[in-house]
Amino acid sequence: MTILDIIHTTTVDERVNQAITKAKANQSQLNAMVNFIDPSEQIKQLNNVSKDAKLYGLPIVLKDLVNMKGTLTTGSSKILENYVSPYNATITNKLIQAGAIIIGKSSCDTFGMGGTNMTAATGPVYNPYDLSRMSGGSSGGSAVLVASGVVSMAIGSDTGDSVRKPASFNNIVGVKPTYGRISRYGIIPYASSLDHVGYFTRNVFDAALILEVLAGRDDKDMTSLNSPVPEYSKNLSADLKGKRFGVMSNVLNAIKNPVVLKQFNTLLDQLKAKGAIIVDIKLNEDLMHAMLPTYYIIANAEATANHSNLDGLRFGMQQDGKDVEDIMTHSRTVGFGKLIRKRFVIGSYALFIENQEFLFRKAQKVRRLIVEDITKALSLCDALIAPASNQGALKINDTKTDQLSSEYLIAENYMALANFSGYPSMTLPFAYDEENLPVGINLTCIREAEQMMFNLALGIESCTKLKDQIKEVQS
Amino acid sequence: MNYETVIGIEIHCELKTKSKMFSSSPVSYGQAPNTSTNEIDLGHPGTLPSLNKNAVKQALKACIALNLEIDTLIRFDRKNYYYSDLPKGFQISQQFYPIGQAGFVDIETELGKKRIRINRLHMEEDTAKQYHVEDETWIDFNRAGIPLVEIVSEADIRSATEAQRYVEKLRTLLVYLEVTDGKMEEGSLRCDINISLRPEGTLPYGVKTEIKNLNSIANIEKAVKAEILRQSALLDSGQVVQQATRRYDDKLETTVLMRQKEGTVDYKYFPEPNIPPIRISNEWISEIKQTLPELPDVRYQRYLDLGLNAYDSQQLILNKDLSDFFDTVAKQTPYTKILANWCLSEVLAQVDQSQLEHKVINPEQFALLINHIGKQTISSKQAKEILPFIIKGEQYDAIVSRMNILQVSDSETLNALVLEVLNENPQSIIDYHAGKDKALGFLMGQIMKKSKGQANPVLSNQLVLEELNKRKA
Repeated sequence: MTILDIIHTTTVDERVNQAITKAKANQSQLNAMVNFIDPSEQIKQLNNVSKDAKLYGLPIVLKDLVNMKGTLTTGSSKILENYVSPYNATITNKLIQAGAIIIGKSSCDTFGMGGTNMTAATGPVYNPYDLSRMSGGSSGGSAVLVASGVVSMAIGSDTGDSVRKPASFNNIVGVKPTYGRISRYGIIPYASSLDHVGYFTRNVFDAALILEVLAGRDDKDMTSLNSPVPEYSKNLSADLKGKRFGVMSNVLNAIKNPVVLKQFNTLLDQLKAKGAIIVDIKLNEDLMHAMLPTYYIIANAEATANHSNLDGLRFGMQQDGKDVEDIMTHSRTVGFGKLIRKRFVIGSYALFIENQEFLFRKAQKVRRLIVEDITKALSLCDALIAPASNQGALKINDTKTDQLSSEYLIAENYMALANFSGYPSMTLPFAYDEENLPVGINLTCIREAEQMMFNLALGIESCTKLKDQIKEVQS
Repeated sequence: MNYETVIGIEIHCELKTKSKMFSSSPVSYGQAPNTSTNEIDLGHPGTLPSLNKNAVKQALKACIALNLEIDTLIRFDRKNYYYSDLPKGFQISQQFYPIGQAGFVDIETELGKKRIRINRLHMEEDTAKQYHVEDETWIDFNRAGIPLVEIVSEADIRSATEAQRYVEKLRTLLVYLEVTDGKMEEGSLRCDINISLRPEGTLPYGVKTEIKNLNSIANIEKAVKAEILRQSALLDSGQVVQQATRRYDDKLETTVLMRQKEGTVDYKYFPEPNIPPIRISNEWISEIKQTLPELPDVRYQRYLDLGLNAYDSQQLILNKDLSDFFDTVAKQTPYTKILANWCLSEVLAQVDQSQLEHKVINPEQFALLINHIGKQTISSKQAKEILPFIIKGEQYDAIVSRMNILQVSDSETLNALVLEVLNENPQSIIDYHAGKDKALGFLMGQIMKKSKGQANPVLSNQLVLEELNKRKA
């Protein structure tokens, strides 16, 4: 059932009330919401919106990094626990203009910094497919709210794979378009050069439709793209004839899970049967191993500067102090958790004048090389394709991960390639692992090739028949 | 010992723009604190900078006038430090690729023209303004985000006078370009002066101090002189100069310590990720070049060509509002020399700078006044009495008739007056013919006195001479 179907078969009150009721009912088990927004004023304002608006009266949630005037936007952090946005993010305006009803903010890793959603100030978000498992992150709250049938669309953000990973773990569609396609104005940042606005839906058609609403030039974001926004959903085509899928052997070799691999091969066969061509791609193995450290250096360096505004002076949580400097130091010490402080230390270290050349500058050089490599690969195919993960979501208390293994360094983190390059990338449902947990498939295309990406995804969706998946949570 | 002074100057100059460097907040002065701000200026989470194109244009104008090489790829960097006047915790600046590099200006010195090299000019945003009231800190964010350029000279300056001339030259240039209002007293142009001494004839630099917070051109020379004295006294007595930031105390007439410098701060500069590099076109630059206003050096030469002397020309140039006023009036009078004198004396004495800036004096009426002085149909004493009413906006003719300042030019009346005065002062006639020119002045004075200043001086003078010649015995 697409968003258009929902809008045509229910009333605004019905769908908004149902979403809020369900979100509240699920809250104790999923812990996905940070706060609720009373929808009545927004429903009243629908008078100013055409009935044909693409998201007319559609209940949605925003990741807790998206500013909406007059609402609490905490970034799932302590330091902004009392922060009420004084302004709207550009996408908030676009969503409201398209008729969306924002029912609340969803939990995320603090400031989007994490891949587990375990670091949210309000605690972990639980996976509806197995409540003892994590949602994945950082946009975990938004992912499980879509997966559990609360809302049919939710906003996330993606700096490494923060939309596409939780989409994989929750059997839904997660999209991160080209860098600059959706304005970042008003989204609390993690790392500006890697941050993308993304979103979750339950099918490819909705994914195409939502980008029509969110995309477009915004003068308030200088990295925003000028190109016009096509009507992706009207131009959709599932025809795979002659389409070239690039299989990255580096990623495939790093995936050790036979159950996932088997289903991946089955999918490739199905694609070939539909006339697609499978191309073997070999990326530079050294660069693939350097990818994660490169990511950490750039992301943390940018993050440490991006969050220097959080000093307790003008907004947010404020601690006492004998002078302004003292207030800043105390507020930051109390307001940031240990993990975040660790990131800031790493980021600052990489920027120190004596380290900058061999850490930060070098990471930027490696990033360029990686982008050259993936650009070359995409000249040989229409999309890179690989399972989004080696397996389904991990247990909440999992500590076994070997962070130096290829499984971790590559199979679990390669999707950051699309953040380095800014290329469009999406995950959609595809398989179940040996414990019957969902694993998604990831596509990455060349810059601004969103239409191609949606078309290929629709082709895959017609093979897997996995769409509109909802995992109800018993309350 | 004799020392050579080595000075380098950094100038921070607020650009004249409608809105801020990276936000649409208005740039305005004298507004209530924290009213010209928005979420960007206050560094709210999620905000992004958007570059003000007009600020770039202003910076380009400055680059052109200062002969700087322009980098047509505009890039910005983050300068990271925590301070309560810096909302984002970093300042967007141009560390790695300044918009302008390797330029110069020429200044006048006792030994003739001297070229001062300029190392760089870069764009950045201003910080908030802090007020420390007893144990409280008040912050006004209206200033946060106002566009700035920083202009860094090479250490080519060798004396207090050169330092003053350099700042004066730059300030005048930038004001003529309408890049800034250049008001040092309001902080829209601020200079930091780095100064060190070395024994004459040696090359290594001495330890430098930095003088900040200079609020007038005049104080630059005073401050530098005082600092040279202070440093040389230290060195003469075998002590060392401490690297420090100092400020000039007007009352004590010396520099005082603000803070000791402890090594260099690591600002962890890195490229600003939210502003992609922007290529500016050569067409745009040449368009700006072609539409630059008349620069002070050109105007100075024009004044010399008009017949003004060097001193008057220079004095006019230094005050752009006054000079603009001069130019407007000069179109309506042939008496440019008188006009210049009046501008530099009576106008400066009776009109304040903000009235000049807002063009309060009606140039037509002022031109009338100058023309009457030139034709000697009024005395300069009368003119001085008329001026305040012209400043108030009255018409020349109305003032003159109300004040009963009417020139007696009727030759019959004047002749009667002349005869009367000559008859009363026979000794003066003798004196005049004996070659005492003073006698003529005395007689004229008597005529003016009797006519209550209303006798046409040119005509009266002529009549007196005629009558004196008749009476040459």
